[in-house]
Amino acid sequence: MSFFKILFSLSLLLSLSLFANTYEKNAQTKPVLTQQGAQKEWCPVCGMKLESYYKTSHYARLADGKERQYCSIRCLAVDMQEYAIDLSSVRVVDAMSEKVLEASEAFYVMGSDVAGTMTKVSKLAFGTKEDALVFIKEHGGKLVRFEEALKAAQNSLASDVAMVQMKKEKKVYPMGKKIFEKMCAQDIDPTEYLEINALKAALVEKKLCKPLAEKQLQALSLYLWEVKRFGDLEALGDVVKVVKDEKCPVCGMFVAKYPRWTAQIFYGETRFSFDGVKDLMKFYYEPRRWGKYENFTREKISKLLVTDYYSQKAIDGREAFYVLGSDIYGPMGNELIPFASKKDAKTFLMDHKGAKILQFNEIRVEDVYKLDE
Amino acid sequence: MRNRINFYLLEYALHSLWRQKSKTLFIGLVLTLLIFLLSALFFIASSIKHELAQSVDALPEITVQKLQGGKHTNIPSSAVDTILSIHGVEDAIARVWGYYYFQKAGVPFVLVGVDPFEEQYKKSLQKIVDNYEISSQEQMLVGRGVYEIFKEHHYEESFNFIKSDGSLYTLPIAGVFTETIELESNDMIILSKQSAREIFAMDADMATDIVVKVANPEEIAMVASKIQLAFPDARIITKEALQISYANIIDYKSGVFLSLFIVSLFTFFMIIYDKLSGLSTQERREIGILKALGWKVELILKEKFYEAALLSFVSYLVGVSVALFYVYILHAPLLRNIFEGYSVLRSSFHLPFVLDFQTLALLFFLSIPLYVAASIIPSWRVATQEADEVMR
Repeated sequence: MSFFKILFSLSLLLSLSLFANTYEKNAQTKPVLTQQGAQKEWCPVCGMKLESYYKTSHYARLADGKERQYCSIRCLAVDMQEYAIDLSSVRVVDAMSEKVLEASEAFYVMGSDVAGTMTKVSKLAFGTKEDALVFIKEHGGKLVRFEEALKAAQNSLASDVAMVQMKKEKKVYPMGKKIFEKMCAQDIDPTEYLEINALKAALVEKKLCKPLAEKQLQALSLYLWEVKRFGDLEALGDVVKVVKDEKCPVCGMFVAKYPRWTAQIFYGETRFSFDGVKDLMKFYYEPRRWGKYENFTREKISKLLVTDYYSQKAIDGREAFYVLGSDIYGPMGNELIPFASKKDAKTFLMDHKGAKILQFNEIRVEDVYKLDE
Repeated sequence: MRNRINFYLLEYALHSLWRQKSKTLFIGLVLTLLIFLLSALFFIASSIKHELAQSVDALPEITVQKLQGGKHTNIPSSAVDTILSIHGVEDAIARVWGYYYFQKAGVPFVLVGVDPFEEQYKKSLQKIVDNYEISSQEQMLVGRGVYEIFKEHHYEESFNFIKSDGSLYTLPIAGVFTETIELESNDMIILSKQSAREIFAMDADMATDIVVKVANPEEIAMVASKIQLAFPDARIITKEALQISYANIIDYKSGVFLSLFIVSLFTFFMIIYDKLSGLSTQERREIGILKALGWKVELILKEKFYEAALLSFVSYLVGVSVALFYVYILHAPLLRNIFEGYSVLRSSFHLPFVLDFQTLALLFFLSIPLYVAASIIPSWRVATQEADEVMR
């Protein structure tokens, strides 16, 4: 029952952040904003309003003397990947008195029941050890110094980014796109700006959009900054399309009946549809075995689409990850189940007792036939 | 040749029916009434079922409610983030909705808070939001039923909600929407989430419940169990469970139907029993005379078949068409009351037109062949005897 244990520990982790008491992180006094211009109100990394996360705010100076202010130690850690930041220039807001102090002198409380800013584990700084201990008594957590807190932030960065990214993709970007289409001038060019906070400042100052609440402004900025700047939301969102009378060349069944499993190989204009990756692989390796398909060699394949198990969207089959031996069956029994990312595949493997994860070029024809046994 | 309709016989059958006017009229009336009653009941049931199924179908796969001491309470919106991080979840939407009881009219309204920039959880809702565009936050869209009640109480342009602290909260009416799913939209008011929270005295970061979309139906159970583990105090309602509970309500109401149905069937079988138990002396004599005139048994039976089929088929047609008229044009006065009260709706709703051929066929085969057999069998018994024996 290791799977349940994993689920359980996962749930504990998640529930921690959920039922945390309501500790306000926004500024109670007038916040100290050190950046230049109208953009000083927002974090240059994530674009969040600094005032709302003032109690976890950090300051740093770049090599060229430019001041930066972050919503949290997490964004500082992100920025350190890009810029050489002298750690001695880092300052932090005292969560108790809200005064700015040297980070190296601060006492950090890590892992209290206060929700973290863009991370699962919160890190709050205090000017004196006494204050920190009083806080620990009420909210739990452990006492660390700046280096340790920063290290923890750096170590959890990948998983923190992934956590936030999922939410962004599922929720924030689509919302931002809608706001952009409905409320804004359509000629906004996010590539004109150096940082997300500069973009945000411009949106407000130049009145490029109708008045928006901070939450909406943030969604819009994230969409413009993280999606629109690199083109647009991918033309994904499409399912694998089959017409009603298309038959699988391997098993002869109608493919349209099984939309959750459809996979396709394109040879230029011609395409073949399959009711599962297994049949697709059989065809891919030995097209001749299934009829007069001599001309359809592997080299001529122009596109290969499979249906992602979780999102049910069409994804590139050659980039996908496949789970074998799980307890989920397709129309033809045991299947190779496709996923867009390795992380998805791993989760599925644990949830559904899968045997192994393979990438497209790792799949051998024996593996495919073994599934039928 | 054998299967062709014999028009002379048909004419004779019609005359025969006409000769026994009162009997024909009585049987025809009873049959018609019976078929009318049954088909009307079935029509209402299938219409309501259809409408409910439609509104359930439109719902997302999973609904998450927070329970406190077994009661439903508000859930923190931040739970959405946790749910979104579960693999297989396509979208999670924090809903802010509830009932507002309008005391003067004695009617509850359903208040649904929407964020116009969010993906809505239902297509019908998305359509309304797209079509009407709540431009400023301090506006509302109302359903037709709500609008009529507002007008009755002279709230033509705006409405004053009474907040929990007794103060007034005025919202202008931005538009009236009409929707296909009458049942759910008639008493609905759409407003911004902020306004809804204001009226319900909810904290800014709270929601009524959270609905979760799962792209792959195969994963619903897994996602539901993960949500349950993340929120031990939550009640997870899957669409499937919702469908079952809706079906249960309908079936419970259908119990009332069933009793009516049994009574009607019983009456019907009484008539049939009466018929089967023998023919009147007059009918026996008629068959005897026909035989004496040289009619074959086959012809006599054919004539009797025409008679019975005509009578029952006409009754069937009349019964069904009257039922159609009664249910879909008059909206089933009286009978509808059996079904009312399965939601807090008081405002009227139209029954969508759903022609259920299965029930029509069921009624057809329950009435016509039974009645035809019931009239032919005793005739056959008499007709096979010698003419003089029959007339004696």
